[in-house]
Amino acid sequence: MTGPPPRSRGTIGLLEENCTVCMLCARECPDWCLFIEGHTELAPAVKEGGRPRTRHVLDRFAIDWSVCMYCGICVEVCPFDALFWAPELVGAEPAREALVDEREDLRAWLRGVPPPPALDPSAEPAEELLAARRLEAITAQRAQR
Amino acid sequence: MTDVAARLAAVLPAATVSAAYGVVTADVERAGWVEGVTAVRDDPELDGTFLDLLTGVDQSPGGFDIVVRLWSVARRTGVHLRTTCPRDDARVPSLTGVFAGAAWHEREVAEMFGVDFAGHPGLDPLLLPEGGVARPLRKEHVLASRVDVPWPGAVDPADSGEGGRPSRRRLLPPGAS
Amino acid sequence: MSPYEVRPAALVLTGSRRYRLTVLNVGLACCAVEAVVAALGDSEVPGELPLAGPDDAVEVLVVSGTVTDKLAPLVHRLHAELPGPVKVVSFGACANSGGPYWDSYSVTKGVHLVLPVDVWVPGCPPRPEALLAALQELDGGAA
Repeated sequence: MTGPPPRSRGTIGLLEENCTVCMLCARECPDWCLFIEGHTELAPAVKEGGRPRTRHVLDRFAIDWSVCMYCGICVEVCPFDALFWAPELVGAEPAREALVDEREDLRAWLRGVPPPPALDPSAEPAEELLAARRLEAITAQRAQR
Repeated sequence: MTDVAARLAAVLPAATVSAAYGVVTADVERAGWVEGVTAVRDDPELDGTFLDLLTGVDQSPGGFDIVVRLWSVARRTGVHLRTTCPRDDARVPSLTGVFAGAAWHEREVAEMFGVDFAGHPGLDPLLLPEGGVARPLRKEHVLASRVDVPWPGAVDPADSGEGGRPSRRRLLPPGAS
Repeated sequence: MSPYEVRPAALVLTGSRRYRLTVLNVGLACCAVEAVVAALGDSEVPGELPLAGPDDAVEVLVVSGTVTDKLAPLVHRLHAELPGPVKVVSFGACANSGGPYWDSYSVTKGVHLVLPVDVWVPGCPPRPEALLAALQELDGGAA
């Protein structure tokens, strides 16, 4: 038997750097199997005399695989692309508690996430690339003056 | 579609016939339920000889609707027949004399809504275990798990730590009140 | 006289000849299909279910599918009436916890409420190779 195809719904990887603890995945999960905790912290203001900025900090992110039905609603709804499907299989365990993956395990699942499909050759380049090129052009222009 | 509706109105003169979204429905009085279903089954044009479904609808705070779909295999058309019963007198004549296959459908409606089918040979539970008192498809029935299990989405990071915004509107999961 | 011969169909799964287990698949819902595919893929004759013989005693019970409250006593009885010690595999989200039907009025929230479970296999449904890996885990975890 060959392994699962690359876009299989095997497991879900969490890229914490993108997570803003907006709680949308936990709210939209039909099985209530995402457990997220966080708190807010204040970052200094950008400008002198400005308001301190509020940052959400992730404390806990866990998925209970014994309940998950692999629908992918959490992956789809995340506005910040912090969750990714990976074709690796979540292994069988001798105890149900062992089927809960915490944030470290969820980060480890990122190893199996396949690269995104290549853009069509005639398509616009990715937005990040366009932004970087614009920035380069502006910097070069300013350097010339 | 209009000729099916017209024929249904002719076969059931006492019924109110309506058509919407490609479905023709005749609302029949409870007293004439068995006669009405028999008439549609025996009519050569409507030919409703296949009992496709028999189900219930909880029209809370009203009573219960019993809906039947009769299909003609030869003509590939179907009609819905509907009757109602009040909540405090949830009793409807059984269709087992017209369609033997209605027996299991009526057992399911009886256990899910608590509607009694007069003349049914044995309204034992079909899908639910024996001895249950719950009527799960009634609107007032609460799904116990959605009340007992804490909703992970109720937690909000803005509630803990510095800089949290006060009095953020509490969200509730669907199915909980 | 019925033209069909009815006999209990336990399967013999061998995990590519690394172990030999007589497995009874309690196929209650969609997961049953994946469990059967695991057996088909494990067969020496491609496409043929490796059925157990009359001398093979059931060693593993795989509960694959949703356990409803109505059926739960029968699942319990099936396990109780098997002679000899039997390991239980909870296969799929419904058998683990009720899965997508965790809030239903008619679903038992996991077969562990009815039977002692030895291995829990996540998935909805789990892939067939997940069952074979779980059986390997039961057989002492030999790689």
